[in-house]
Amino acid sequence: MMEHEFKYAVIGGGIAGVTCVEQLSALCPDDKILLITASSVVKAITNISKVTSILEDFCVVEKPSVYISENCPNVTVKQTRVTNLQAQKHKIITDEDEYEYGKLCVCMGGTPNIISKNCSYVLGIRDTESVQEFQKRIANAQRIMIIGNGGIATELVYEVEDCEVIWAIKDKSISKSFIDAGAAEFLLPQLSQDKQSSTGSAPTKRRKYTIDGNKFRDIGHGTGTALGPDWSEGLLLKGLDKISHNVKIEYNVEVEAVMEKDEYRITLTDAEQDALSVWPVYVKLTNGTVYGCDFVVSATGVTPNTETLLKNNKFEVAEDGGLKVNDKMQTNILDVYAAGDICSAFWNPSPTWFQMRLWSQARQMGSYAAKSMVSHTRNQDILMDFCFEMFAHVTRFFNYKVVLLGRYNAQGLSTNYELLLRVTKGKEYVKVVLKGGQMQGAILIGETDLEETFENLILNKMDLSRYGEDLLDPNIDIEDYFD
Amino acid sequence: MVIRTYNEEQQYLEKISSCAWKIKKGFVPNMKVEGVFYANDALEKLMFDELKNSCHSQGFGGFLPGMKQIANVAALPGIIGKSVGLPDVHAGYGFAIGNMAAFDMGDPKAIVSPGGVGFDINCGVRLLRTNLSEKDVSPVKEQLAQSLFDHIPVGVGSKGVIPMTAKDLEEALEMGMDWSLREGYAWAEDKEHCEEYGRMLQADPAKVSMRAKKRGLPQLGTLGAGNHYVEIQVVDEIYNKFAANKMGIEHKGQVCVMIHSGSRGLGHQVATDALVAMEKAMKRDKIEVNDRQLACAHIRSQEGQDYLKGMAGAANYAWVNRTSMTFLTRQAFAKMFHSTPDDLDMHVIYDVSHNIAKVEEHFVEGKQRTLLLHRKGSTRAFPPHHPLIPVDYQLTGQPVLIGGTMGTCSYILTGTERGMLETFGSTCHGAGRALSRAKSRRNLDYTDVLGALSEMGILMLILIKF
Repeated sequence: MMEHEFKYAVIGGGIAGVTCVEQLSALCPDDKILLITASSVVKAITNISKVTSILEDFCVVEKPSVYISENCPNVTVKQTRVTNLQAQKHKIITDEDEYEYGKLCVCMGGTPNIISKNCSYVLGIRDTESVQEFQKRIANAQRIMIIGNGGIATELVYEVEDCEVIWAIKDKSISKSFIDAGAAEFLLPQLSQDKQSSTGSAPTKRRKYTIDGNKFRDIGHGTGTALGPDWSEGLLLKGLDKISHNVKIEYNVEVEAVMEKDEYRITLTDAEQDALSVWPVYVKLTNGTVYGCDFVVSATGVTPNTETLLKNNKFEVAEDGGLKVNDKMQTNILDVYAAGDICSAFWNPSPTWFQMRLWSQARQMGSYAAKSMVSHTRNQDILMDFCFEMFAHVTRFFNYKVVLLGRYNAQGLSTNYELLLRVTKGKEYVKVVLKGGQMQGAILIGETDLEETFENLILNKMDLSRYGEDLLDPNIDIEDYFD
Repeated sequence: MVIRTYNEEQQYLEKISSCAWKIKKGFVPNMKVEGVFYANDALEKLMFDELKNSCHSQGFGGFLPGMKQIANVAALPGIIGKSVGLPDVHAGYGFAIGNMAAFDMGDPKAIVSPGGVGFDINCGVRLLRTNLSEKDVSPVKEQLAQSLFDHIPVGVGSKGVIPMTAKDLEEALEMGMDWSLREGYAWAEDKEHCEEYGRMLQADPAKVSMRAKKRGLPQLGTLGAGNHYVEIQVVDEIYNKFAANKMGIEHKGQVCVMIHSGSRGLGHQVATDALVAMEKAMKRDKIEVNDRQLACAHIRSQEGQDYLKGMAGAANYAWVNRTSMTFLTRQAFAKMFHSTPDDLDMHVIYDVSHNIAKVEEHFVEGKQRTLLLHRKGSTRAFPPHHPLIPVDYQLTGQPVLIGGTMGTCSYILTGTERGMLETFGSTCHGAGRALSRAKSRRNLDYTDVLGALSEMGILMLILIKF
């Protein structure tokens, strides 16, 4: 094979892309694999030595390619931007070169939705580059506004210290896409407490993800890789004032207008202008309130990054903007697969699984796409990875462990279900979704130790009706019972 | 079923020694033999409290008290000896956890029941020794822990580090530790110190369903959550120097590693599949039981044999799992201390199963009989000179590993002759009921949460009234 021909190619150096490449390399150590990424490569760290209780020392490499190539010698990494894809000719065209592939997986993720694209005081926060930018700005901030109600917004609201935060969400309760109103109610008190010291010093039971290398070329706005689970670790997210948490939440609002200082002043009367406290930027919400702040964070989700791909290729696109993929992670175009935030799962899913644009699913999809590509090359049958049988995600909100299993908010169950609930204020929140006596999903907040038991109950499809509400009786050791 | 008052129930219970109670026939219908449970004062109180609460709530179904479960097992066809509750017996699915029951293989009516083995088939404990001391490990505790986490993935949704294909899984199901040995993940002498030498020969991968295999494939070499653990332990007290030395434990402060894990999702699916199949067959074979969860089949029936072969496959999988984690633990330690597992003398002291069914020879009323023993939450404890235990433990008896819960001690015991006679060589599996788990769950307060939820317009809401 020539220098520009590769058996497998992957575009995108985020978690989906890197997992895909690692899996391909493990399955086909003799085939040539290409990874194209517009920014630094996200790397999974396994060797961490502690320098002090807070500082960790891990390998920082100058060029992103070194890490991947060390572990996967048959992988070539090119840090460059893809300008075009000619899928019929199996050709990728970049800023600098052209490449031919046998099979391609696109893992280009999504671009952050920014509420006001042209205002320099509005910062989108979705990838590692924007986090670094945020870090710079927060050091000089007394008040910021956070727009958005997803995972990033939720984590950010908690992580920020020494700065006033106005959190504007369009829903009735916080973190709506993750937790229900009850769990939101459970978590809220944490916001008025002092932030506990970072858990970064305790050993973590999971592979850590971080960005590869301090130096990276700024290829272009919005081409950074998405944030993984440890994005806030080790970052100093402190403002100017000496307060731990000061968060005000505005519910059921959207942003009506974002105005810079002078733009806003003009709209006021003379008296109002005199009374105005001066901020660089002002945000008017749909409930009429206007807040001034140092800058605004827009954590309002992403739009799948399909623009380049759609230029010359007729991909089928879902309503949410993602490339449709079948149960083999294939798009409708021959030899092109897709994984991670850029794709939309368009197969008939298991009753307890659904797609959510999370790093954990990005990793699962990246891995499965690789297996799928290889099995097709070898003309072998492949069964779907079992991770697509049941939705499972673990995260941390407000310093609590949060485990989400199956249809944890009864998604798609209309009104045909029951809930079991057990709450201990400040300690744990356990919610179980039942339908026809079978567990369909669960939310576990705090150290409940129930995740494995519930995962098994959901997958066993056991009839639990005989227990009724006793299922969550704290005096029964339920993990033991079903052991 | 008859509902009695607490006082009435007590008529069927008799204290027969300072630490044993008899459950007389009639406590539940159709008892073929008596029940017995072992408890000291503290455990006795828990057992009776459990019974009292159940009498007051006047309910059956739901969670039955352990005592009732022991008695319901005594009502199963073909049971021989007694239905035994080992210390710390408590409620479980079908059988109580810590319930041992033996069935006469010579009786055509004798049954096998997946509830008597448990969902986590071959959940068990393995103990590794090292030649490190507490003072070697203490200063680097956190790094060592992180090293272990780096090598052994934990938690829901985590992926294994040791690469495994579907074909590997098939072979692992059939060969157990022999597969690990072939692939280079085990030392030859590890097998010697494992029940069944880490492989049940009657395993048949064909009797393990596709769904079970799919659940098992990603979980191999991962620890799982809940009460599974890999724990670095330090020897606190040595009560019998001779026996300890035979096991490679020489002094206080010596560092050991305990691995507590089983077959997890794969075992769960094998058990679930069998329960479904057997429930169907019970009508055909006219088997009656007191509790639907005691679904069972005649040992020689198709369903019974299928289950035993599948169970053996799951057992093999669990041994491969513990062996994989042994391998990864050895790697983690070697890396940490810049040495080799060989130089660190990280041998397997022993590996016991506490959720399994085995065919064993025992003496019943002076005659030798072949029995099918269900041990659920119960550990085999064979005495000195028993042919099935390793040569180097012939004089001391089989090591019995009792894992503690987080924060409590673990114990190593040895099997005795008396145990062989009274409980067919079985003992408990865990060191004390973890009442502390329930501690944090009192003081429930859900009024705020209620308000928020009702706004969501939930149709049916069932609350816990504590």
